[in-house]
Amino acid sequence: MTDTTLSAEKAVLKLQNINKTFGNTKALIDLSLTIGAGEVVGLIGENGAGKSTLLKVLTGIYQPDTGSMEVNGKKVKFRGPRDASASGIGVVHQEQSLFTNLTVAENIAMNAVGTSSVAAKLGFYPWKRINQIATDALRIIGSNLDPSTVVGDLPFVDRQMVEIARAIKVETTDGGTPLVILDEPTSVLERSETEVLEREILKLKNYGSVIFVSHRLDEIMRVCDRIVVMRHGEIVADRLSGGVTEAELFSLMIGHESRSEARDRKPIDESMAPVVEVKGLTAKGKYTNVSFAVRPGRLTALVGSSGSGREELARAIFGAQKSDSGELHVNGKEVSNWRISQAVKSGVAYVSAERKVEGMIGGFSAAENITVTHPGNSATGPILLPFRRNKIAKDWFQKLDVRPNDHTLDLARFSGGNQQKVVMAKWLNSPELRVLVLDHPLRGLDPGASETVNAEIRKACAKGAGVVLLADTLEEALDMADEILVMRDGEVTAHFDMSSDDPSTLDLLEKMV
Amino acid sequence: MNTTTLSLGESSLQKFGRKAGKAWQSFGPLVIFVLLFAMVCGYTPTFLGNGGFTIVAASAAPILLVALGQSMVLNIGSIDLSNAAVTLLGAILLAMTLQPLAGAAPFVVLALVTLFGAVNGAIFAFTQVPSFALTLGTFGVFQSAALVVSGATTVYVTANGDSVQSLYFNNLFGVPYTFVLGVVVAVLAWLFLRFTKAGRGMTAIGKNESGAIFSGIRTKALKVSAFAISGFMAGLAGVTIIAQAGCASPTGLGSDLLLPGITAAIVGGTSISGGQTNPVNVIFGALTVALVPIATAALGIEAQAQSLVYGAVIIVIVALTLSRSKNSIVK
Repeated sequence: MTDTTLSAEKAVLKLQNINKTFGNTKALIDLSLTIGAGEVVGLIGENGAGKSTLLKVLTGIYQPDTGSMEVNGKKVKFRGPRDASASGIGVVHQEQSLFTNLTVAENIAMNAVGTSSVAAKLGFYPWKRINQIATDALRIIGSNLDPSTVVGDLPFVDRQMVEIARAIKVETTDGGTPLVILDEPTSVLERSETEVLEREILKLKNYGSVIFVSHRLDEIMRVCDRIVVMRHGEIVADRLSGGVTEAELFSLMIGHESRSEARDRKPIDESMAPVVEVKGLTAKGKYTNVSFAVRPGRLTALVGSSGSGREELARAIFGAQKSDSGELHVNGKEVSNWRISQAVKSGVAYVSAERKVEGMIGGFSAAENITVTHPGNSATGPILLPFRRNKIAKDWFQKLDVRPNDHTLDLARFSGGNQQKVVMAKWLNSPELRVLVLDHPLRGLDPGASETVNAEIRKACAKGAGVVLLADTLEEALDMADEILVMRDGEVTAHFDMSSDDPSTLDLLEKMV
Repeated sequence: MNTTTLSLGESSLQKFGRKAGKAWQSFGPLVIFVLLFAMVCGYTPTFLGNGGFTIVAASAAPILLVALGQSMVLNIGSIDLSNAAVTLLGAILLAMTLQPLAGAAPFVVLALVTLFGAVNGAIFAFTQVPSFALTLGTFGVFQSAALVVSGATTVYVTANGDSVQSLYFNNLFGVPYTFVLGVVVAVLAWLFLRFTKAGRGMTAIGKNESGAIFSGIRTKALKVSAFAISGFMAGLAGVTIIAQAGCASPTGLGSDLLLPGITAAIVGGTSISGGQTNPVNVIFGALTVALVPIATAALGIEAQAQSLVYGAVIIVIVALTLSRSKNSIVK
């Protein structure tokens, strides 16, 4: 914290020696942090480093055990989110929390309903005032969204803007600078949308200060003036973004150097029969005349923007998307338009981008989630043997370092990264894994968890599974793939064999748009 | 940033709260029934001496079997409004076939009602008509069928009824075999849901159907099975009705089992939104639902007020035992 040179009177936020303990776990230890007006501060750290706790303290959800907090020069003690909002702290949550069936204006000005006038207090809806507040908020962030649009009709990036408008709408009673907290706002966005959002964040600087939480280090470095790194409840580094490299940040976050290394790539071995072969596969409006093959031990990355049809194509391999024409062969058998249950039986696995909806069964323990699809020796015929299930789960928890280390807990209670590890384990538990289809497997994961998941993907490859990967970023695709298929508007526009070609991100982008 | 609170450890109070909630989920229905039963015995000490429990158990038997079937369907996140009508139709068919088919009659009838349930399930699984609407429709169909085959009159068992009726007239420590049958079925259902792939698959459907589909679970087959089981258990309830009454009619004993069946399932801690069922607790749910009207009568509450008391008590009990797991949205 020594290299920050902010004078106290300009500080929007000043935390001093904040401590927060849960049971016998210290979530925040003597944490001090100052944020100046107009500053964009990046906050990074592994899942469980204490970022969430800090954000919850800032937004009044948790009260710190000890320590002091000043906002715009005034000492504050938040009793709840309302207090935080009243003193000028607004938050955009990672999981979008908008009402999709209401208008933009209603979402932004929700809290103004009911307090603005006598009529409103009686329950009449102050449309005029709502629209006014929303228009003002949108103008401040420089957005030209129509306040009367229904949020459900907007693309994700615009919804994120609505969230931001709602966050900055916080009523600063004394005209102080508002502080907007963006909690992984880009994790659900496609790349092009991310760029739009990044530009908008830079605009926010004219109006207020920003705390920006993200797992994407490159993005943090682009957007932020200053980067704060948390580990085990403490701030371990506070750097200006000009004077730090990604590799440095990574090792600061997880406490050791990045272990990822480039794969050595072998050329295609034509003698090996492909595990997946797609021939002229077409689903109207989704993908058109797509052909490719994935051989055992190889990873094919499908690259494309949203609407390129790569998601649907990946789902078709798993039997979750019907095709109109063309052929799909898995393990040499024609299986066009098969069912998911058949695909699973033939050793096809699918890690969905919609983890909570499709990837896991909330309410089931982590152990049960791991064994629900491939029970291994925890079932004989139709009968289940729970004691063996626990043994299997325990092994996976150890292998993938899942935290908290209790496989009997409801999987819904784990953090996103740890849920994803369990979802990986669920598919890797199959001894006959032939095809692994991964739709954004690293979405919402911190670099440590990403590393673990990537290592498992490579191991599956080494054991002879063919992998189809839809990566979050082009860099991830370039890093992991043996072959890259670029798609645009449902058609394959380029095919790179990474053993001979060496495409840059620009080469890929060119074929995407 | 999801809830990382857990990874940071929870306070001892939170932990206690979670454990207490879990214990209540396991033993709440039993505790409620025992308290209620003790209360009735306290007010009218003669209740126990006059075979009070036998009466309660006998009247709980068909409710229990219908409720068990219902809880299997609720478990997959659906509802079977037709099962009580199937019970009655099954009872009427059994009364009619006992003479010509003798000992084979119960098995033939059970096979038939299982098929009825499976048809419900197949229509539901393949057309995706909401189960509420679908079974409301088939409820009408089965009710009409009962009226038609019985000629709208009471059908008496004329021969070969002894073996079936012995279920009611013999007992184990004062508990009629009809109820014992229900308990055995409940325990089997519990084992099925807990220790078989199919049972866990059904629960998975109730908790998250998309998740189940994407885990390779054959959801359609399991849906059909759940409804078939509901039909089968409704048929068993029909058998207990014949055992008790020796006759069946569209308006007689067992003609109002639908709501008590649902209530018993819910009092037994079954979640209406699926994924949460404990068949063993449904036993106490059925006993409680059977006890309340008997108790109100035994306590000398005026006949006109009995429905009111029944309704009020049920609301209180459901409020106490309703499963409120986080992922349950009352649909």
